[in-house]
Amino acid sequence: MRSLRVWIKKEGRAKYISHLDMNRCFMRAVRRANLNLWYTEGFNPHPYLNFLTPLSLGQESEAEPLDIKVEGDMTDGEIQKRLSAVMPEGITITGVREPVCPASDIAAAEYDVLLEFSDDESASRFAGESRRIVASGVLTAEKQGKKGGRKTVKEVNVCDGILSFEASADGKEVHIKATLAAGNTSSLNSSLLLSALEAKTELSPEYVNIRRLRLLKADGTDFR
Amino acid sequence: MLSKKLEKILNTVQKPGRYTGGELNSVIKNRESVKIRYAFCFPDTYEIGMSHIGMKILYSLVNARSDTWCERVFAPWVDMEERMREAGLPLYALESGDAIAGFDIIGFTLQYELSYTNMLNMLDLAGLPVRSRDRKSLTPLVIAGGPCVCNAEPVCEFVDLFLPGEGEEVTNELIDLLIGYKEKGAGKSEFLRAAAEIEGVYVPSLYDVSYNGDGTVASVTPRGGAPEKVKKRVVRDLDKMFFPESFVVPSIEIVHDRTTAEIFRGCIRGCRFCQAGFIYRPIREKSPEVIDRQCRSICATSGYDEISLSSLSSSDYTRMEELLSLLIPWTDREKTNIALPSLRADNFKKELMDRLTGIRRSSLTFAPEAGTQRLRDAINKNLTEDEILSTARQAFAGGWTSVKLYFMIGLPTETDEDVLGIAGLAQKVVDEFYNNPDKPKGKSVNVSVSVASFVPKPFTPFQWEPQDSIEELLKKQELVRSSVKTRKISLSFHKTNTSRLEAVLARGDRRLADVIETAWRGGCRFDGWDDMFRFDIWEQAFSECSLSMDFYANRRRSFDETLPWEHTDYGIGRSFLERENKKARENAATPNCREKCAGCGANSLNGGECHALFKGLD
Ligand code: SF4
Repeated sequence: MRSLRVWIKKEGRAKYISHLDMNRCFMRAVRRANLNLWYTEGFNPHPYLNFLTPLSLGQESEAEPLDIKVEGDMTDGEIQKRLSAVMPEGITITGVREPVCPASDIAAAEYDVLLEFSDDESASRFAGESRRIVASGVLTAEKQGKKGGRKTVKEVNVCDGILSFEASADGKEVHIKATLAAGNTSSLNSSLLLSALEAKTELSPEYVNIRRLRLLKADGTDFR
Repeated sequence: MLSKKLEKILNTVQKPGRYTGGELNSVIKNRESVKIRYAFCFPDTYEIGMSHIGMKILYSLVNARSDTWCERVFAPWVDMEERMREAGLPLYALESGDAIAGFDIIGFTLQYELSYTNMLNMLDLAGLPVRSRDRKSLTPLVIAGGPCVCNAEPVCEFVDLFLPGEGEEVTNELIDLLIGYKEKGAGKSEFLRAAAEIEGVYVPSLYDVSYNGDGTVASVTPRGGAPEKVKKRVVRDLDKMFFPESFVVPSIEIVHDRTTAEIFRGCIRGCRFCQAGFIYRPIREKSPEVIDRQCRSICATSGYDEISLSSLSSSDYTRMEELLSLLIPWTDREKTNIALPSLRADNFKKELMDRLTGIRRSSLTFAPEAGTQRLRDAINKNLTEDEILSTARQAFAGGWTSVKLYFMIGLPTETDEDVLGIAGLAQKVVDEFYNNPDKPKGKSVNVSVSVASFVPKPFTPFQWEPQDSIEELLKKQELVRSSVKTRKISLSFHKTNTSRLEAVLARGDRRLADVIETAWRGGCRFDGWDDMFRFDIWEQAFSECSLSMDFYANRRRSFDETLPWEHTDYGIGRSFLERENKKARENAATPNCREKCAGCGANSLNGGECHALFKGLD
């Protein structure tokens, strides 16, 4: 048995497949691809599949890591070829490699965000104000969570999770490039940041597209 | 790619994956290179429609033609509908994202009466007039099939033509005809007259219906050469019938997400309340080799880990042992489950059960339908208490701890004693568990009892019977409730208002078109969903149209009456239905078709052949 990390690009129509549904899609995809997967033991054996960084519904990603375990000696290239052939539209397998870093190394994620406003003025105001807010270091938001099955709401300062942030307006559009904390210890959801900025600036875009570009380790190098 | 207009909406609705398309095995063609664009519409949510085997078959069948592109369309949920209307986004097909108003055929499948308002709503969302006569051009042609079409009258103002019976062959004939008429630039009425000549095509506008003073049908007169009676189509040989090599695999969770393989059509049982038991006759079986081959192909191309062998009564398939011996070796190896829904208690054999123990077992279900043997005989549910209890005993010994029982109230000839018998039978099942020495240790039993209300349906021996009034049904529900003495039995009831509307629409006539349209304009849609159902709006619609629900639901029809659907021919003879109706009054059961042909007449649709008689003998 050996461990492999599958790198997945998710975009277009596929961004509306939820994290839970991605799991199910891949369960089936590995069956269609006829891979010799390692199965968990126990009452209801199933192939081992682990998405390291759940992506929110509606977001795209350049590179989502999925860890799998395979038996036999099928080459990584063959596995990539077979998986690629059975994916729904919008999901591409960009690589299949032996994992280099343990999952716990994930510390941050880099995002590309496109916002479209109804007019040029709102766009430039949003870009300017959000730069100012982030620079101030304080932006509170309510974070929904779960504790012991109960829904909880707690106030957080989203700026604590922002490692870098650039926003620029171009006509009706605003482009944001941001690096946000990710991983188990602390993480900031890009949607939470956006909704906090929308609430604070009182400006709402008509269209949003969030794309995760890459995952980073604490030292700023690529998670691989 | 999705349009930005659509994406703006998708970010604001529940389950956006319903509206995106792009699933594995969905078919993309070049718009320019096809002659016919076909929108296959399922008038319910994506999750329900995508679970439907008939849709999968027709989708692949039409797409097997290089000159036609078939795409899928589902009813947008109310949140999506609202956003679409706000944004001026018309109803589109999932594959191309193109508005369906520009398609050549818009085909609905009508699986249950309570989806009628969704059909109107989808036409409206497409930007089309809901009434057939207001859609003047040849295309889009609005067609409909599915079991409800056995009485299409309530919706025949909205649909240009219906396909009663099985669509596998007639769909292709219709497309061929349309291509020809489109090419020669013919008009809609000219096309419809030609279409009516195809066997299994019902063009309602070619029939004039007149009524008696009391509201019953006086006569139905065909015009323009349309046939006196429209015969439903049947496929003669299921082995040779088209079957897809792959299913579209949904990316989001749906109701039944698995490989489904039909094992036979029709039913040998003839339960007198059951429409499905009659309208899918005659019996035709598929051979094990063909089923096995089809299952392998679907599993390989979909990645599904479950196969459901579907039919109205799985254990009546004569070659089950043979089929399982083909399926089990490879499904075991690939860790694929086999599900056998619709098993009957009486021939749920020990061996079969043993073979199915490595296979995932859901809870065990029985449908005694009635609480006493007398009433079970009257409805021809040939299932005895002994059979139920002995199967339950075996199941408990085999480790099952939960049993589901399905009953109906309001059946013809029912008395309080029959109603009390429901809890009585459930209690005996509970007792059976505790009397069982091999029962699973330290576990308790759960018997869940579901009680529906009887809905009389066309083409059944009970098509003349009145439905109980709401008051009577509620009284009977209360009687069931008060007679259950243990917490081991959990009860659930169907909503009586829903069953009432179902009864009205099932045996309705053409005058109901106004009611349906009024109710839909008043806001009714997704009537089959308890949380969406607005019975008050329906009542209002009936009074606005000066029609009475009682007339349709609670009236006993005489054998002399012309029933609104009698110009459609499902092969089931009227004399047979009358005979069965009379036997019900005498509490006399009719042997199942394998023991003795009851002469229903359906074999006439298949050149006299009925597999209940032939294959059953060996
Ligand atoms: S023709 Fe006879 S055997 Fe066949 S379905 Fe009808 S009653 Fe049953």
